[in-house]
Amino acid sequence: MLSSETRFWDSHSAYLLPEKRIEVGVFQPLRYGHSDNLEYSVYPLWFFVMPNISIKKPTAALGNFNSAMRYSFMYPTPFLNMIAKSGLGGVISPDFQMPTMIGISGTWLLSSSFRGVDVTLSTGMDIGIVLGDLDSRSSIDLPLVYHRLGAYYNNWGMHTGIDLQKNIGSNISVLGDCDLRWLPGLDGDFSLEHKLLISWKKSDNFRVMTGYKFVMGEYPYGSDMRLLPYLPMAEMWVPMIELQWARNRK
Amino acid sequence: MKNISLLTIIVLMSCEPFVSEFDDVSDAIMYEASSKTTADVPDKVKVVTWNIRFGIGRFPFFGDSCGDSVILDNQSIGRIMSAIADTLTAMDPDIVLLQEADVNSKRTGYMDQVQYLLDNTNLNYGCYGSMWKADYIMSDGIGRVDAGNAILSKFELTDAERIQLPLRGDQDPPIQYFYLRRNIVKAKIPELAIGASSLFAVNIHATAFATDDTKEQHINEYINTLAEIHDAGDYFVTGGDLNSVPPGAETDYCLSDMCDGDDYHTDDALNEHKEGSYFENFEGEPDILLPLYSAYDAAIDSSESGAQVNFTHAPSTSYAMNNIKYDRKLDYLFTNRMWIDSLSHTHQGPWELSDHMPVSAAIEMGVE
Repeated sequence: MLSSETRFWDSHSAYLLPEKRIEVGVFQPLRYGHSDNLEYSVYPLWFFVMPNISIKKPTAALGNFNSAMRYSFMYPTPFLNMIAKSGLGGVISPDFQMPTMIGISGTWLLSSSFRGVDVTLSTGMDIGIVLGDLDSRSSIDLPLVYHRLGAYYNNWGMHTGIDLQKNIGSNISVLGDCDLRWLPGLDGDFSLEHKLLISWKKSDNFRVMTGYKFVMGEYPYGSDMRLLPYLPMAEMWVPMIELQWARNRK
Repeated sequence: MKNISLLTIIVLMSCEPFVSEFDDVSDAIMYEASSKTTADVPDKVKVVTWNIRFGIGRFPFFGDSCGDSVILDNQSIGRIMSAIADTLTAMDPDIVLLQEADVNSKRTGYMDQVQYLLDNTNLNYGCYGSMWKADYIMSDGIGRVDAGNAILSKFELTDAERIQLPLRGDQDPPIQYFYLRRNIVKAKIPELAIGASSLFAVNIHATAFATDDTKEQHINEYINTLAEIHDAGDYFVTGGDLNSVPPGAETDYCLSDMCDGDDYHTDDALNEHKEGSYFENFEGEPDILLPLYSAYDAAIDSSESGAQVNFTHAPSTSYAMNNIKYDRKLDYLFTNRMWIDSLSHTHQGPWELSDHMPVSAAIEMGVE
């Protein structure tokens, strides 16, 4: 059985969590190192309205690269039907009843280090299985959201990306990434996301991250780009703040 | 240096406001037909005002009728917009004052209706001012919206301005932030100058649902805009959806506009009157248009404006519920020249294409 190199705080990479370690963030999923060759993750706050789970398993190394596959399953229908409503919070028109939709993604992750920089390359495919009629007018035409749900409207899509991470002090590191989502044939067929985060590790069990996310892409209404997080009423960008905690189960 | 400039542009563009707010006066957005038709300066200039209800016809839209729907299918919108273009072509106006045109809205499949009408009529030039422009309205699934007023013309438009009207004073700040920003769109038409005087087209869509004196402020701003042109010795043709009934008309439509489950005019009613259906919200509202009738020539004279043949509006679901196609006049044309009496019409034929009906009239050219 293949086992993987394990690391803390590296959810984006091919490295798995050490056995029995749990990590969770405000915006990041809860991850659990089941063993050296299996990691689970779920978004716990979303789980009851949008059941989801990912597993990461190591695969055979490719040259100097550690390799892993991440498989994700998502069932967004209950949540989408919650926000398809009249009045405030009606993100989707109440004209639409969202059908049963199941999302399956597979991502191949390759990670290695070059001159002190941790590099992760990723590529994969998204399949959107829709059991019923999904009206194209029910799409949520917002950055980050439109292309993530695009696989359901397009039935499939592809994604690829690169992550670079470097320690610039004993407790400080910088993470930059760039991810492309491509949904051939969809009206608004790609998005490019980039984020830059600086993280400060207080201990192996807590760290704070701050930075920005930039999204650009094609949408049904044309091209758009946005620096996030963005506060609508204040009409300003504010830095992203992410807190992450970890512990080891005994 | 180039890289820094590019980065600056990207950052600025990616920080565009989520909801667009406007200066008191700003440039209108200019349009041209993709293929222009030749137009000679006519003896009579024909003007049409029409609130086209963003091409959804009598669809039971939640916001302005007893319906609860939001997004019409693209095929229906295409059919209605085609019929609106055909209707305008048949009327053959030189100038069109358009209200409620969508140019990039989720609810109408992101169709640019101003460009569509220019490309499918004999009109060549346009200018547009947004009334509602937001990346996303998280209510009722409206989503992205850009809707507003436009002036379309056979002749080139210049000096086009969007004049901001006061925001509704009866809303809380968060609601007001995401709500409509009503405006006047004004443009000069140099080819239609009369002697030394310029001719302006002025288009307004005043508030419909305010329950305070916001409408009075809108009409006063409109009157001031017209007076400025008049006092400068220039001419105007103007009109739009004033959301006001003519002097002497019925002012209370609460009961005829009432939807199932609504309650008005009773002690138990949450609101005494229905927003948009009651025209006595402040002192003097029934006579709010008197200054316009007094100072300028109305296409439909005040003595005839209460006649059924001149009604221009009924809520879109009134026909299905109560067999009412139109029951009040909200749409007007005025000029500081003279309309040719025999050429003023309210076109009730295309009542299915909107919840408003077009009004047309013509002025004589060439006489100072």
